Amino acid sequence: MGGETTVAIGNISCQVDAGEFVSFVGPSGCGKTTLLMSIAGLIAPTAGKILVKGRAVNGPPPNLVLVFQEFNKSLFAWRSVLGNVLFGLDARGKKVRESEGKAKALIELVGLKGFESHYPWELSGGMQQRVAIARALAYEPEVLLMDEPFGSLDALTRLELEDTLLRLWEELATTILFITHDIEEAIYLSDRIWVLSRRPSEIIEELWIDFPRPRHQVTTRAEGRFMEIRNQIYKQISNENTA
Amino acid sequence: MNEPSKFNWTGWLVFGLFLLLWECGSRASPKLQLYIPPVSQIVVALSHLIVSGQVTTHLLTTMRRFLEGYLLAAAIAVTVGVALGYFRFAHSLTEMLIEFLRPMPSVAIIPVAILLLGIGDGMIVAVTVYASTWPILVNTIDGVRHIERTLIDTGRTFGLARRRILWQIVLPAASPYIVTGLRVSLSIALILVTTAEMIAGNKGLGFFILDEERSLQSSNMYAGIILVAALGYVLNRLFVVLQEKAMKWRRGMVAREGL
Repeated sequence: MGGETTVAIGNISCQVDAGEFVSFVGPSGCGKTTLLMSIAGLIAPTAGKILVKGRAVNGPPPNLVLVFQEFNKSLFAWRSVLGNVLFGLDARGKKVRESEGKAKALIELVGLKGFESHYPWELSGGMQQRVAIARALAYEPEVLLMDEPFGSLDALTRLELEDTLLRLWEELATTILFITHDIEEAIYLSDRIWVLSRRPSEIIEELWIDFPRPRHQVTTRAEGRFMEIRNQIYKQISNENTA
Repeated sequence: MNEPSKFNWTGWLVFGLFLLLWECGSRASPKLQLYIPPVSQIVVALSHLIVSGQVTTHLLTTMRRFLEGYLLAAAIAVTVGVALGYFRFAHSLTEMLIEFLRPMPSVAIIPVAILLLGIGDGMIVAVTVYASTWPILVNTIDGVRHIERTLIDTGRTFGLARRRILWQIVLPAASPYIVTGLRVSLSIALILVTTAEMIAGNKGLGFFILDEERSLQSSNMYAGIILVAALGYVLNRLFVVLQEKAMKWRRGMVAREGL
């Protein structure tokens, strides 16, 4: 199509362990989404290699699924909540007979019991993203990629969903790779945070977050170290923006 | 917003007055009566035709040709449309050809069809297929091209093969457009069947209408016209009922977006 090509991602070399919750934070437009799409096998990197469970990514890996920021564009409008979640099970190759009970259990797990037969447009944004998460979990992924999943939700809904996500992560023991531009969200959720530079993005900082789990929206965020880490990351990102 | 449940009294009143005017006008002038018989006479002729079974084969023939042509067109147009919408390259190859053929009034193809296929059933079904293909084809292409990239990527991240992405995501996502095309083609198919029957063949409602006109049986001719109109109406209602059922998910969504 012509136009200039932009190098979205520079030298990034990193490794996520099984069961970890890792976040990328970085200034907007730093190529976070490009990075995640590459890991998901939805776009092919021009150079470099991505391995998931030791296998090179060449097309979408079978044990990994991506949750998009734009849940309203990602959900199937012609399927009910139950239908959307059943899709995840169907894609995994589950038999229809055993699926329905499992789908209903997942819907309950994300807090949508009673909304099984609703269509996505009948739900609020937060509820829609819950459906998208349930659908992704129905696929039983070993790795869950999340591209600013709560980016378009209001602040309160966002906090609620953060806690739901942590609960599910602890229960199902999946590895989560999370992208956000919300520094505090990253600290609250993660075991580890990578701070990205502007494009071509590179990792400029790696931080281990060792607040005890289960975390709590009030007490965890009230810890003195929470603010220290936040300010440290903020300075790095704002330096990037003015540099 | 219209409320379909409310009975339109004034509309029916105007319609009734129109029929009354027709009846009186026709009775007042014997000359006019030859070409435009009173409504009551047409109704009588129609019931005679139905009771005697004189129009049954014509009606059934027209219905069969319509169904064959319409369903064949739908199958072809949806298949080709999905392919052309999905593969950009195929679309750019065929775009000019489609834009050249589509705006041509399809009845103009009837002489060509007669040359190639004769004046039998095949010709009538063929021109029906030809004419009703375009709206479905163009709408399907449009619908597939308008699908959000994210929706396809969702299918891919869930590991769906291309075939399943087509069946489970592309087709349902494009279905509102496809249904629009199907609805437009419904009327077109009936127009083409009737027209082709008037030009060629010795069966069908189109043939019947023209035949009665030539035998100066104007009441029968009008009765035939009413039958075609009724057929069109019933088919349209049937379509709407099926559409409401199949597109239930869409109705509320559109209503909400329309606010």
